[in-house]
Amino acid sequence: MVVKNASALLRVLLSSAIVLASANLYSATEDDDSWGDDAWGDEAETEQGLQFHGFIESAVGGRLSNDSVLQDDDFTLAELRARIETERFIDDAFSHGASSDNARGGSLRLSAKLDLYVDGVDGGGDLYLREAIADFSISDDVDVRVGHQILTWGTGDLVFLNDLFVKDWQSFFSGRDDEYLKAPSTSLKTSFYGDDVNIDFVWTPVFSHDNFISGERFSYFSPMANSQQAAPSGKVIPVEPSKTFSHGEFAARVHGSAQLLGSNAEWALYGYRGFWKQPNAVNSRNQPFYSPLTSLGASLRTNVASGIGHTELAWYNGDDDQGNNPLLPNNQLRFLVGYEQELLPKLTLGVQYYFENQLDYDALTKSDGGSIYRVDEHRELWTMRMTYSAMQDNLIMSWFSFYSPTDQDYYHRPSVKYRFNDELNLTVGGNIFGGEQAHTFFGQFDDASNVYARLRWSY
Amino acid sequence: MFKLIAKPALMVILAASTWSNPLLASDLTDANEIVANANLTSYYAANDGRSEARMLIKDAQGREQKRQFTILRRDRSDGGEQDFLVVFSRPADVRNTVFLVAKKPGSDDDRWLYLPGLDLVKRISAGDKRTSFVGSHYFYEDVSGRGIAEDNHQLKETTEQYYIVENQPVDPKSAEFSRYTAWINKSTFLPEKIEYFDEGGELYRRVEVLASELVQGHETVTKSRVSDLRSGGQTTLEFRFQAYDLGMEQAVFSERSLRKPPREWLRRSR
Repeated sequence: MVVKNASALLRVLLSSAIVLASANLYSATEDDDSWGDDAWGDEAETEQGLQFHGFIESAVGGRLSNDSVLQDDDFTLAELRARIETERFIDDAFSHGASSDNARGGSLRLSAKLDLYVDGVDGGGDLYLREAIADFSISDDVDVRVGHQILTWGTGDLVFLNDLFVKDWQSFFSGRDDEYLKAPSTSLKTSFYGDDVNIDFVWTPVFSHDNFISGERFSYFSPMANSQQAAPSGKVIPVEPSKTFSHGEFAARVHGSAQLLGSNAEWALYGYRGFWKQPNAVNSRNQPFYSPLTSLGASLRTNVASGIGHTELAWYNGDDDQGNNPLLPNNQLRFLVGYEQELLPKLTLGVQYYFENQLDYDALTKSDGGSIYRVDEHRELWTMRMTYSAMQDNLIMSWFSFYSPTDQDYYHRPSVKYRFNDELNLTVGGNIFGGEQAHTFFGQFDDASNVYARLRWSY
Repeated sequence: MFKLIAKPALMVILAASTWSNPLLASDLTDANEIVANANLTSYYAANDGRSEARMLIKDAQGREQKRQFTILRRDRSDGGEQDFLVVFSRPADVRNTVFLVAKKPGSDDDRWLYLPGLDLVKRISAGDKRTSFVGSHYFYEDVSGRGIAEDNHQLKETTEQYYIVENQPVDPKSAEFSRYTAWINKSTFLPEKIEYFDEGGELYRRVEVLASELVQGHETVTKSRVSDLRSGGQTTLEFRFQAYDLGMEQAVFSERSLRKPPREWLRRSR
């Protein structure tokens, strides 16, 4: 294991040197005094040949303390990643159709994003398809996006109620770019735009679960085993739903905007039918699985004073109608309210309050044998985000914190990003977990606390 | 088109040679009227428009950064509310980021940002409008316009070519300057030079029009520069491929366009 880690570190250091060297090479050729002969991104150029963009990034992160249950606990992040992105417009793709005059209707956009990476923590290299989509309109009012795509909606800042699209918590905890928190799913998204009301409908034929904390890279607390668990023996290997039509995921959002007290208020209603995105149910053979979930919700976002206020509500309804099966998640009511304002020029503060209510808590208390790890009836969570940018926006300092007064645990995410120029930037940050008890939401990740650095060259 | 500007220009020259005093009978004398005209010329040409823009940002050490974006604009009313959609194409780390602004003179603008990597439509709280726009030396307010009611205007001098207007903020705490002077071209009403002074009366910031041309009958800036005289940094902004009165609908300035930028208006006409 030591050998593996040493070689991982070497690879990362070597790749950092390559990134720096290539960045220097690039800036050396960019010493002209103006845009010079630089084309304005000529239309003909983009239509005939594909343009490639992306980045090369090397990242390294280390644990702040030992995690005794993990076999290999030195690094939380050690990777070299190359992103390749390209997009292409085919403007007359549907020109034979009735809506040929309308470019929304007539144009087809194809976009792909692919990561190639070498991972020193999991070992080995791999390909990661981030996006492969086709965007087109089937009428003046209907847009379609089909393919492997990132999907996001809702009003929360790093708190999700009605956004039941795939998330990658391992990336989030290990300090990869924020973008990696949202993972892709292969879905069909149809959006209808009316005068006052818009409707999004997303169908994901094969259930896509979160990249949750499974015992690899980070350990977790198991109430069943009454201890912290990690791979290989403690790796969570859930039973997945079979791939039938009825096991697909269906998500809908009805949304619009209206004048409310002189402000432009954005409202939305949400619905979801699928499964919990994390395997928080246990079957009769003691295997974790993704239990069915239906949710309904609503949100509102508008100007309040000189800032932005948002609120969101969601009702999670699972398979445990009576709430008396401790092996299934209880039905829940989730509520969020938040506010963000610029306090001083370039200094923004955001605060959110969230609560989660177990709707059949009494039934649960009677059926779980008095488990000391039972979730609280009310779980409360506060979040705080402070962002300050300086030096002509080249330096961005950010601090995000989760704090739960009911669980008595926290998760801090400080980071500093510096843009050396348009191509090269460095991000240094941390993921600091802690809590009074070993089994709570963030408390169980006490030993996962880490600091990381990422050097990225964009092209 | 050429005649449209050539004629008044000729008249000015003739008139100026007739009287030694540059103040002409046809000159405006009301500073508010001059500023209102300048505001309409600079920010409200036609009912809607598109332009591609690129910035070259240089710091005092000569280090450069670049920004490139396409702006769509539609006026709800002349001199009043208007909407902007800004789609970035460079640098690579902000490519396909989209910025939507509903400008409301006299109150806070509504602003949204679309981050393509997260498929996230983020609503941004109204910020100080006199801070850097996308890391350049331009302020947000230089790009979208400063509400004309936010300053008291006084016509200081009328020369052969310019109305020289002195401006002081109504609320001194609302801006970092104590006053600014604008050289407004008498025939085009473009403010060709604006100089900002601090509380000590020292000049610390200058915005200049380096080139302009007539586009569909509207005098249009094609190159400008802002200089931060304290730090020594400067940003040059070029506009290209402008077109007016395209017939954009209000619906172009919506969440739909953040998630799927309207190719119909963003691509150059052929």
